Amino acid sequence: MTTMKTHTVMLLPLVVATVFAASFALLLDARRLDAQQRGSDPEHTLALTWDRWLDHDEIGERMQLMQRTWPELLSLQSLGNSFGGREMWLMTINNPATGSELDKAGMFIEANVHGNEIQGAEVALYTIWYLMENYGEIDEITRLVDERVFYILPTVNPDGRDYFLDNSGSGARTGHIPVDSDGDGLFDEDGPNDLNGNGIIEQIRKYTPGAGNFRESEQDPRIMVPVEPGSVGDWVMLGFEGIDDDGDGRVNEDPVGGYDPNRNYASDWQPNYIQGGSMDYPFQLPEARAINDFMVSRPNIAGFQSFHNSGGMILRPPGSAWYGQYPGADIRVYDEIGETGERMLPYYDYLVIWRGLYTVHGGSIDWTNDGLGIISFSNELWNGGQYFNSPLLQEQQSGDSPISGQRSRYFFDDLLEFGDQYVEWAPFDHPTFGAVEMGGFHKLSSRVNPRFMSMELFHRNMAFTLYHADVMPMMSIGETTVELVSGDLYRVRVDIRNERLIPTITVKGRQNNVVRPDILSVDGEVNIVAAGWVTDKNRPGPTQMIDQAELDRILIRSGAPGRHTRTIEYLVRGSGSMTVEYSSAKGGTARTTIQLR
Amino acid sequence: MRIDGRRGWRRGGCAVAGFLTLAAVVSAPGIGAQSSAYLDFDDLTRELRSIVNASNLATMRSLGTSHQGREIWLVEIADASGPPIGQRPGVLVVGNLSGDHLVGSSLALETVRYLVGAGASEAELTEHVIYVVPRLNPDGAEAMFGGPRDGNRLNALEFDTDNDGRMNEDAAEDLNGDGIITVMRVPDPLGVYMIDPDEPRLMKEADAAKGETGTHALYWEGVDNDGDGFINEDGFGGVDLDRHFQHEYPYWERDAGYNMVGQPEARALMDFVIGTRNIAAVVTFGHSDNLVTPPGSGGALTDATELDLNSFADASNDEIFSQGLFGTPFQRGGLQLRGAQPGRDNDPGSGQRPATTVNDADIEYFETVSEAYKEITGIEEVVINKTAAGAFFQYAYYQFGVPSFSTQGWALPSAEDEPSDSGEDEPSDSGEDEPSDSGEDEASGSARGGASASGDARILSAFDASGEDVFVPWSTYQHPDLGEVEIGGFRPYVVTNPAPSLLPELGAAHGEFIARLSTMLPRVRIASTEVEAHGGGVFTVTAHVQNTGYFPSALQHGVRSRSVDPVSVQIQIDPDDILTGASKTYMIQKLDGSGTTQAISWVIQGREGASVEIRVRAEKGGSDTATVTLR
Repeated sequence: MTTMKTHTVMLLPLVVATVFAASFALLLDARRLDAQQRGSDPEHTLALTWDRWLDHDEIGERMQLMQRTWPELLSLQSLGNSFGGREMWLMTINNPATGSELDKAGMFIEANVHGNEIQGAEVALYTIWYLMENYGEIDEITRLVDERVFYILPTVNPDGRDYFLDNSGSGARTGHIPVDSDGDGLFDEDGPNDLNGNGIIEQIRKYTPGAGNFRESEQDPRIMVPVEPGSVGDWVMLGFEGIDDDGDGRVNEDPVGGYDPNRNYASDWQPNYIQGGSMDYPFQLPEARAINDFMVSRPNIAGFQSFHNSGGMILRPPGSAWYGQYPGADIRVYDEIGETGERMLPYYDYLVIWRGLYTVHGGSIDWTNDGLGIISFSNELWNGGQYFNSPLLQEQQSGDSPISGQRSRYFFDDLLEFGDQYVEWAPFDHPTFGAVEMGGFHKLSSRVNPRFMSMELFHRNMAFTLYHADVMPMMSIGETTVELVSGDLYRVRVDIRNERLIPTITVKGRQNNVVRPDILSVDGEVNIVAAGWVTDKNRPGPTQMIDQAELDRILIRSGAPGRHTRTIEYLVRGSGSMTVEYSSAKGGTARTTIQLR
Repeated sequence: MRIDGRRGWRRGGCAVAGFLTLAAVVSAPGIGAQSSAYLDFDDLTRELRSIVNASNLATMRSLGTSHQGREIWLVEIADASGPPIGQRPGVLVVGNLSGDHLVGSSLALETVRYLVGAGASEAELTEHVIYVVPRLNPDGAEAMFGGPRDGNRLNALEFDTDNDGRMNEDAAEDLNGDGIITVMRVPDPLGVYMIDPDEPRLMKEADAAKGETGTHALYWEGVDNDGDGFINEDGFGGVDLDRHFQHEYPYWERDAGYNMVGQPEARALMDFVIGTRNIAAVVTFGHSDNLVTPPGSGGALTDATELDLNSFADASNDEIFSQGLFGTPFQRGGLQLRGAQPGRDNDPGSGQRPATTVNDADIEYFETVSEAYKEITGIEEVVINKTAAGAFFQYAYYQFGVPSFSTQGWALPSAEDEPSDSGEDEPSDSGEDEPSDSGEDEASGSARGGASASGDARILSAFDASGEDVFVPWSTYQHPDLGEVEIGGFRPYVVTNPAPSLLPELGAAHGEFIARLSTMLPRVRIASTEVEAHGGGVFTVTAHVQNTGYFPSALQHGVRSRSVDPVSVQIQIDPDDILTGASKTYMIQKLDGSGTTQAISWVIQGREGASVEIRVRAEKGGSDTATVTLR
């Protein structure tokens, strides 16, 4: 039995509406009732704030704090070190009183594989916190935590995250293994430099009257507009702030890293010349490898969610059109979850990666779908439409108003962020380019949502993953019947149910043989004469005989389909009792003992 | 432990000790005489160490360890008196990737011995480095030295081969006690095979169109240990490491592993390779061939072959993954292309696809090397040519971008009896075809030059002619479940390894081949320089950069795959002092070999009499510097 908040106890006991598991009473305390009666917010056990971005140390501290606060349900581990030596913190949420980890479907949530795509880590942290604060408070949350296991990895790329948050933020998408981006045998020797020491890598522009290809916008001189073909402008854009560090005559040609940590997974992996940034082989990156090693050790993981930014998308694999289509039964599952997600997440579209975003070979959710047999999504957090999130305002964005086109971002920064995200163009004497100007938007603009809009983003995306977790498979036993045929010969029927949407084994997982088959086994002093699936319990008809050598251990490679009940029929000789057990890797185990009489 | 002489092979499982006493290796001090025995891990290690210890040209270290804790040895052969070893063009030799291909490790061992001895000068070890990994799969190889032997190619990964939730629960049994695992043929009216009327030792598929009826079923020698209805479906291992690399990786096939380069042995090799960019050519001794038969005019490899008899026995377990499939209820829906948003539909046909055939511009190098190989080794025909999907040598060309070769390393025994012109290969017509990306269904492909005989019959008769005992005659056995059966078939290892007595000669020939190959590596130098003074401190500086090797500085595919750095030519002055001409660092994507020269000129300003250094760096062709004086 789990202890929850250590308050005074017991006003009215509620029976939790779970179908299985340690049906323990949920206790409401006096304070909670008071709060409900007043209609005020709940009092938090941990009053955390969610309006700032945490660096890796702070994420670790927050996870340790949560783990200490809810030690019965939370366990914290490191999956290993990033290339830069940072711990890859993973929180497991499991209620041991309702079963061990591997007996429950697991939901894996990861974020921030691209160093600059930071806000997913906060979604992940918020998810832990929300589940814990509301366990024992909201029945549906209690049920979910009791039925499922959650594995939550807020930052896959802690090196990139810290580089983004604690440094200038330029080029932080990559991981931090040095790569020779310019083919000169040297590694990461010429990246951008913060020349003016303001902590921001800006754009460089040079005034070249009548000889440039950019001009200042007539509506707002801060905006640089490319000139139309055939005409000339007064400015050229010279890239990011930096110098020729290695003296090879080129500027910023080999910055930190230089690969894509989300192209290093082992399904549809392609070499670098086909898929830029894939590195030399799958799971070469220590971070990707650590995640995969962990997931392989947890075959109960049945749901996977990755958080990226930006664009407002609920993406499903595959990442490449060459791959072809998934089997229809798997697509139906994706569609139902994705379309539900679209209704939960305004401004987000449910899309196939290659069709709605761009081609990705060797992405993480291709691997988890194909290599691990897990229904997997990747959300691109934050859509620019949310800056002006009403139909009325969006009508104005197409015309000539102050919130149209590129002007809208300056408007938003001027009036809602008070200019915090923009650096004015200012002169600078550059060692290679001569007299130039530097300026532009700050790293936290555009892809990262404004801080004041975080809570809604965190909560809605968390709710989507909790919905996904809820529809993971869960095996149970329904009606059982025993019928004496003659002598010691019995006909036994058992209903085997998976009432949730996702099957225990996806079609792809079965085709690739990457999920252990479900096993329907019988224990007891019985001799199984025959076994088969009943076509229709309510009508006489044929039984689909099972043609396997071991009828006390039937392999079901196609798994248990979603929202479906199958009836197994055994013809057995024996007496006493027999135990029928349905064991699945991703939907738990259900068993029943039947008396033969 | 050593195995020498076919006699030992026929002795059965209890004869293991006999191999030791038959050892015929000369254990002389120093680099020693060539070994005419197959060596287990300890003996191979000892032999390598004794060569390395006796030579100042070789060093030895471990790249990592196998599942069972054996070292993956790397021997590095170079004369340290030359330029830094990591900047020299290198050849990488890898052997024994598949467990049963012991000959690969023997050839690699003898290559080491040859290069530190007789071949040292030809290989120009002051200019080059040769890296040798003799045995990538020590655990799989070790399986030959104990217990009943089968044709195991796998490593020792604990792998639930039949995915039934039980691990290694149904291995083979040596029922007739002859020390090897062969095939069982069982009279069975439901069987689809029949005895080949042309060669009664062999089996063929009954052809109903010819009025034939199947009479036999075929299985591997053993029993159904777990009672699941299948025989020998989940024994030792594992992964075939030569099906485990990144090019045309056979996804989800059982011997290819969970994911490419996932096994410790493969990772050890790959981490070494990607960190050793001076590797300019690769040779593997393995089951696939592109040396006896180079890529055809379309750039494709010749068809793969396997023994039909063994493939038929393999097929007895084909049904495993189709049992336990039960229909799912009909459901509506499933939008096949959900996500097609107007204006956001990315073109499904767009994007470059990986090459699967050798680039036209590169084929000549494969042909030339093949000619050299056949000339040196005399090998004109191979026994088995396994599918190259996922093979390491294919990675080395298609992704690492260097000339890369694989050979079985020995010939069909009867090769010397054949007409001398039989090896004059015209470009193969079948080379136009895409190589298959799957190892399945290739077993029936007939071997090259087989005339009317099937691959099995051709191999059998070749061994017969040479007096090599390759086939266990069928003999009856009372099987506990199947009743009376016959056990017989190809001797595993004999069909994949030559007689040990041939190893010294084969080894020296392959050492010589590797030495020859090293002389073909690119060699990029500054051949000459010129300075022209224009007065007022303005000069034109010109460097003539030349590749005197045979291979280009990068193959065309090395350029395409962006895996080989361009040749960089850099003038060591402040970029601001370059007035016109080349930029400070000039990149040559590809400098052809055989003396091809390219001139690079800079117009610079400088002080009269000043020295200016020019540096050239070719990732696979060495580096060079030249100093000019401005006058």
